[in-house]
Amino acid sequence: MIPYLLRLAVKAVVTLFAIVTVTFVATRLSGNPIDTFLGEGLTTEGREALIAYFDLDRSLWHQYLAYLRGVVSGEFGLSFVDRRPVTTVVAERLWPSGQLLLASVALTIAVSLPLGVLAAVHRRSWIGSAIMVVAFTGYAVPSFVLAIVMVLTFSYWLNWLPVVGNGTWQHFIMPTIAMAGVLIAALTRFTRNAMLDVLGQDFIRTARAKGLRETRVVLKHGLGNASITVISVIGLQIAGLAAAGSVVVESIFSWPGVGQMLVSAAILRDYPVLQFGVIAVAVAVVAINTLTDIAYALADPRIRLARA
Amino acid sequence: MFRLMLTTALSALPLIAAAQDITVGAANVTPYVDPGRDHSNVGSQFYYNSFDTLIDRDHTKLEPEWTPGLATSWELVEPTVMELKLREGVTFHNGDEMTADDVVFSLNRMFQATFPPYVVRAKDRFANFTGAEKVDTHTIRIHVEREEPLWETLISMQQAMIIPEAYTKALTGDPEVAEDSDFEAFSLAPVGTGPYKIASFQPGEKLVWERFDGFWGQPAPLERATVVQIAETASRITALKTGEADIVTNVAPDQLSLIDSDPTLKTEGSATALFHVMIMNQNHPKLQDPRIRQALSLAIDRDALNEALWLGKAVVPSTHTMAEMGALHQPDLETFDYDPERAKALLQEAGYDGFEITYDTAATYYTNGLLAAQAIMEMWAAVGVNGRVNVQDQWSGGDAEMMTRNWSNPMYFADPFGSFGVMWAPAGPSESEGRFNTDAEYAEKWDRFRFSSDVEARKAAYAELMEEIRQDPPVLPLYRPFESWGMQNAVNWAPLPGHIPYVLDFRAGSISLADS
Repeated sequence: MIPYLLRLAVKAVVTLFAIVTVTFVATRLSGNPIDTFLGEGLTTEGREALIAYFDLDRSLWHQYLAYLRGVVSGEFGLSFVDRRPVTTVVAERLWPSGQLLLASVALTIAVSLPLGVLAAVHRRSWIGSAIMVVAFTGYAVPSFVLAIVMVLTFSYWLNWLPVVGNGTWQHFIMPTIAMAGVLIAALTRFTRNAMLDVLGQDFIRTARAKGLRETRVVLKHGLGNASITVISVIGLQIAGLAAAGSVVVESIFSWPGVGQMLVSAAILRDYPVLQFGVIAVAVAVVAINTLTDIAYALADPRIRLARA
Repeated sequence: MFRLMLTTALSALPLIAAAQDITVGAANVTPYVDPGRDHSNVGSQFYYNSFDTLIDRDHTKLEPEWTPGLATSWELVEPTVMELKLREGVTFHNGDEMTADDVVFSLNRMFQATFPPYVVRAKDRFANFTGAEKVDTHTIRIHVEREEPLWETLISMQQAMIIPEAYTKALTGDPEVAEDSDFEAFSLAPVGTGPYKIASFQPGEKLVWERFDGFWGQPAPLERATVVQIAETASRITALKTGEADIVTNVAPDQLSLIDSDPTLKTEGSATALFHVMIMNQNHPKLQDPRIRQALSLAIDRDALNEALWLGKAVVPSTHTMAEMGALHQPDLETFDYDPERAKALLQEAGYDGFEITYDTAATYYTNGLLAAQAIMEMWAAVGVNGRVNVQDQWSGGDAEMMTRNWSNPMYFADPFGSFGVMWAPAGPSESEGRFNTDAEYAEKWDRFRFSSDVEARKAAYAELMEEIRQDPPVLPLYRPFESWGMQNAVNWAPLPGHIPYVLDFRAGSISLADS
């Protein structure tokens, strides 16, 4: 187990280093913060004074090495725009994003597991087909389409739900569904497939032969064993969700989270905030992936033994 | 869910009116609040409610009519020295009493700026101002280098708003010294003398104004006004529909009918005191012949752009002028024209051989910017110009390869100096970027326009400058975009003609909420 964990750790560090580097280069190629947030009509002289003030007059290499040194010592710099430490800027955004993430994952699990199991058990009847049609369709609908359709229906026309911010539980309904939509579709399909694999195994026949009740066969022996695949999917999908879904959904619902912050930092070319935001999301993704790998190994001895 | 449904069903309007409390859904909330360094369209929304200038103006009027602000009277004691009597009994939001020291500090942080973001603003508009000095507790003097024809105009700018000295200096480091970090800290914890204090501020996200009971003038009509960022247009308009917002900003022209068709909502708008312009690089090797640039300009049917993109609500100017400029407004000058036949002839004379001419634009920075660029390519094609839109977010105005692109020339203050005069000054932004040339003759005309004490002399000099622009064009003002706000019927608010663009003015007399 120890060598396996070490390998995971090395993989995580290399991934993060690559992300820091790519983010650094990509943000600097995308435009200049001086032009975007100080308005128009700067003289060349004025622009140069400001570029120097923000330490952007050094060579790219110098800036990159300085940034790496900072990252290693935990210093991520100040926002160009409001001059606060970027760690503060991101920290105040974490909890709203976390809340939305937890709500969507909970909703996903609550809906997908029963649907997936149901689809597997009734794979030859219309119930199974209907669930799969819905799941495939759901997988094809991007979260921004789902979000806009919900906003139009439940706020614009029916006036039932609020669209701005995260003040009350009602504010959670649409963003949570918008984030969870694609996930539910994905996880339902994976649960069904994993269940089908498992239900065809010999030990299921043995369980049935022992005279166990079908519910117990399906839930304990079936779902219990299918959980390995399901865990990995939940892990990987949470990671993807944290990065991508929140950017779109938080912008549409003015949700004060990391995703919305990344969008405005990108527009303003606030490099330090953008870099740290991407790194924070990347760390979350890498951590979740690594934990998934560990959970996977714990759930299935074949994995850790085979690789050790 | 049902609670919200009920409250909206019972109409949220009486509740709003009773509470004197409104929410504004803004496309952008400023990331910092410092009237001195800011001159952005986003920032301009936020200063007038919380800060005062020494001299104010009647904002309901287009023509400047100066009114006492934090100064009760002012007079020139020498041709280059103005003495101002300060209002007594003015308190800052933190409880400090305003004295001459605060005023001198605020002005000199701009006039004698060392903090780089202030230096930029000091150079382009306060270059003639050498310093302020205290005479006694309630009297100050302001010194200029040359006789100043625009005293009131410049002293009433947002950048000359008054902030507290002791409070600002004590924010970081040595409480006796004004460090750069003090100004940085101030912009997150701003304090002024206006009718609303900033009760809470989350940069780029939310700003809450609360009535300041110690205000020296007429009390604020609202108890509280919250501005929240709702970046997405569809969400902003939906928030107005659901009653979550009482006013929303930046309603695009094609969204107006959505709001106007709802009997409980309305829109207010005006042609913003800002030009969307096309700039042309005088020094690009292929564009050095002025006839080519004249042709590019003459080929553009700006009225057609206005009809197609702005429903005819934008304003297409005959020259670089705006009605807000009062006596200096010169609509009779004809600097820019639409004449495709003349464009064709000029291209032929200049020997244009069909080389590609690029037009740079960001995808979304200016409302309708990309659409206008595409339409302009069609208009160019009609006179035989091979144009191509180059979409990029990076500002290319300083690149030697830039041929043409879009830009804007805002009116920073109500004078031609506040718009054309800043952007096209000798050694100003355009010339320093290498796409515009001036010579001694141009500089002499600009100087006469800027400093003549006689209005007619200033107008004549400005007309001469416009003739230079016509002969060797570096710019074509396309139009003044039409900017709209959506609001609940119960809200009586509209942008006032005496303000610079985008100001949210919630002072007494500028906003009220209907009782029923």
